Amino acid sequence: MRNEIRRLREECGLSQGSLGAELGVSRQTVNSLETGRYDPSLPLAFTVARFFGLSIEEIFHVD
Amino acid sequence: MSTKAQVTITKAGGGFLASSIVLVTGTLLLVRFGPGNMGKGFAVGGAAALIVFAFAVWRVARRPTDASSFEHSFTGVGDERDRRVAEKASAVVGLVSIPATGVAAVAVAMEASADVVLAVLLFGLIAVAVVSEIGAARRS
Repeated sequence: MRNEIRRLREECGLSQGSLGAELGVSRQTVNSLETGRYDPSLPLAFTVARFFGLSIEEIFHVD
Repeated sequence: MSTKAQVTITKAGGGFLASSIVLVTGTLLLVRFGPGNMGKGFAVGGAAALIVFAFAVWRVARRPTDASSFEHSFTGVGDERDRRVAEKASAVVGLVSIPATGVAAVAVAMEASADVVLAVLLFGLIAVAVVSEIGAARRS
């Protein structure tokens, strides 16, 4: 699954660590999300979407 | 010290205390009733695990962003990805343990030393756990 997390994070000027702190996950988890190695749970996807003020569909795309 | 680090240390303190009680009780029982040096072995193995645990707590409390998935899970502060990595690694150990136990049983039936077979089985499964944890963390 592709996603827009890296682009959105960089637009907000956040580091992976600080985004992880906002989302309640580790820096490694943010990195894995951005590189597509880890697909988040639905609750985490909602947390990400709420944080960026977007819908899940605008952030996550099925390949 | 941050609140998160304090929570980590408080949780870890509870885990450390409970583990220490199990270690001391198990050691005393095995020294009294166990064969050979089993009590000493249990004490050394348990103490090594506690040292690894204390080291992991120190790393997670000091620099959580640099700590590994294993350290997060081991200290009880892992997120959902850390838990999934631990689940995958545990699943691999579980799958490997069934044929490995069968091979060990055959080895004992063929008159291999049970002490040696059990030791090889234990350390073999620990090695599988380490490798599978690293592999799962890299792929997730």
